[in-house]
Amino acid sequence: MTGRVRRQRGESALGAIAVLALALYALFIVTPVLMSAWKSLTDENPLLAHARFVGVSNYTDMLHDDALKSSLTFTLVTALAVTAVANAAGIGFALLLNKTSLSYRVMRTVAFLPQVLSGVIVGFVWRYILAQDGVLNHLLLSTGLIGRPVTWLGSPHLAMFSVGLVAAWVLTGFTTVVHLAALQSVPVELYQAATVDGAGRWARFRRITLPMVAPGTTISVTISLITTLKLYDIIAALTSGGPANSTQSTALYIINLAFTDDRFGYASAVAMLLLVVSAAIALTVTGLLRRREVDL
Amino acid sequence: MRHQLPSARSTRLLAAGLAAGLLLAGCSAAASPGGSSGSAGSKGGGSTTLSYLTFETPSLTTSFWDTSIADGEKAVPGLSIKKLIAPSTDRDAYAKQLQASGQFPDLLQSITPSTFVQAGLLKPYDQSWVNANFLLPMGNAYKGKVYIPPTNSQIIPMVFYNKTLFGKAGLSQPPKTWADFMADCAALKKAGITPIELGGGDPFSASMPLTGILSADVLGKDPNWLQERYAGKVKFTDANVETAVAKYRTMAKNGYFEDGALGVKYADSITNFTSGKAAMYMMGSWFLGSVPKDHADDFGAFMTPTDDGSLVVPFAVGGSMAISAKTPAPDKATAFAEAWSLDPANYKALIEGDGAFPMLKGKTLADYNVTVSQVFKDSYAYVTDQNTKVSSIGWASNDDAMPSGLNDAYYAASQALFSSDDVAGQMAKLDSAWNAATR
Repeated sequence: MTGRVRRQRGESALGAIAVLALALYALFIVTPVLMSAWKSLTDENPLLAHARFVGVSNYTDMLHDDALKSSLTFTLVTALAVTAVANAAGIGFALLLNKTSLSYRVMRTVAFLPQVLSGVIVGFVWRYILAQDGVLNHLLLSTGLIGRPVTWLGSPHLAMFSVGLVAAWVLTGFTTVVHLAALQSVPVELYQAATVDGAGRWARFRRITLPMVAPGTTISVTISLITTLKLYDIIAALTSGGPANSTQSTALYIINLAFTDDRFGYASAVAMLLLVVSAAIALTVTGLLRRREVDL
Repeated sequence: MRHQLPSARSTRLLAAGLAAGLLLAGCSAAASPGGSSGSAGSKGGGSTTLSYLTFETPSLTTSFWDTSIADGEKAVPGLSIKKLIAPSTDRDAYAKQLQASGQFPDLLQSITPSTFVQAGLLKPYDQSWVNANFLLPMGNAYKGKVYIPPTNSQIIPMVFYNKTLFGKAGLSQPPKTWADFMADCAALKKAGITPIELGGGDPFSASMPLTGILSADVLGKDPNWLQERYAGKVKFTDANVETAVAKYRTMAKNGYFEDGALGVKYADSITNFTSGKAAMYMMGSWFLGSVPKDHADDFGAFMTPTDDGSLVVPFAVGGSMAISAKTPAPDKATAFAEAWSLDPANYKALIEGDGAFPMLKGKTLADYNVTVSQVFKDSYAYVTDQNTKVSSIGWASNDDAMPSGLNDAYYAASQALFSSDDVAGQMAKLDSAWNAATR
């Protein structure tokens, strides 16, 4: 068999795999999105066999939906705050763990653990930690830092903070690993040369580390944002969206609309809105960060 | 060459085959809406398997359901029941998910019929059978038909109180009027005792005080209020409703609930109250199943007081199971449901463990061979006595049931009013949610 024939067969096999991948993508991603787009133009109810075409009325209804507005506000604020905190912490941890010894490798694995845990498990674990008589309050009370239990999940503002804290904890595992991978590709010679030139720690971090890990930061920030914008499982287990819907993310609101309020059509319209908002934010942020990579 | 790479053509065919297979699998997994999961004749010898949606609580355990199902199966030869367990106590939501995925159960325990009847998913019971067996045959009827046998009832909420803690605050008897109630709360607080336990971390539990006040003040004066709300004749923003809701806000503002109440889970609130950490607890009568047996006499119960002291009982007739209109074996499903609904062993478990008030005709508590506390007997008397019973707002499963999704908005308003003075704003939100849900 000639090399040319082998190459042709290899390319054909790759083509077939690509076709399969595209078919799967079309089946599991494109089709549901298209179906959701269609349903958003109907008054579909999960209990009824037939739905009516209602045009864009689901979309115009969103303009007067206060619950949607507050869920979007909560989602956007949480996404921005969690992304900022998780990425700052990720860079910090990555700098600390950027060593080659066994103990550091073990610590890296530990740092990544939250990311591999199911969101539901994370939610339940943190519910025990943050409960009125939970681990955190016991700890703070026993050390005398507080005089009475803090209602971490029982007051709207603290519950919002708690959800953000838990989401940031989970994402920090991911951002640490991404930044660590980026850090390990920075040539040591750059630091050595900078040190010879008299650059201090901050200058080395600002002028070498940040620019060199910038591509990793772009990926990390974008994925953190997208993950937080569709946050559902952690919230469902931690607060169920309460108290008083203060931690109801848009994803949780969509589920409630569909399965509690029986408004599949409207829920689909809100899902389309979330899709567009997420895509717009992701594209904008990616564009800005790529431009920043060049500037750095 | 035996182990050569497949040709490009065969690879393409394989890929196409896989994709087609996946597509077909995807299509076949999406069953048609309204499908029933039961299978008639699925076993040899003409036996039938039907699915039955249940739910578990600390009182209604796996063992209870398994035993009660086995007893029901014995009463219907050739029937086998496949038990489904709702992942939470919200049976309605799970039943909707099952319906959406084409797996609507044949039998559904303690769901809210109105939601499903409108979609033609439930089959009504034979009215003569219902009339012959139950004290209030139309107690949970929806549009004139009974979809769930009215086997038991609840009062939601009652105000349970700890007699010892009342004594410590110098209170010798429960309050009669709202003014007495507020004075007692103040006296308890002054004595260093938390007046009212509230498991506000669980939305339904957070709404109990509001349910008590609205049922007493609004439905007590106008028992048809919910029907009138459907007709658009009254609103949550009406002055009488806002005045009633303001009472709840006053309770929260005056610090009559447990500290950090919105962070307390329902299960913890039961423990807190039964262990003497608060003097009162507004909860459904199912709490009677949690009254500690070793000092049950420490506990008493009264209704949410009204301004003039008149007695209003917020009442809900519940029941056993609904039958799917699409079940492949309606006769066997009905026979099982009827046998289960009349089985004395089930009543014993429901009374002792879940504080259910039995509604079978011609029976007294002694007939169920149950051991219950004095507070249970006193509470049951509110059911059997002649008095003003009104639908417990948010809990009725008859024509007074709130529209789908409204309960969540109602619970959220209860939690919001714990820390917000905006009564009018919250009531406006409820009106808006009602309008959206009934559009």
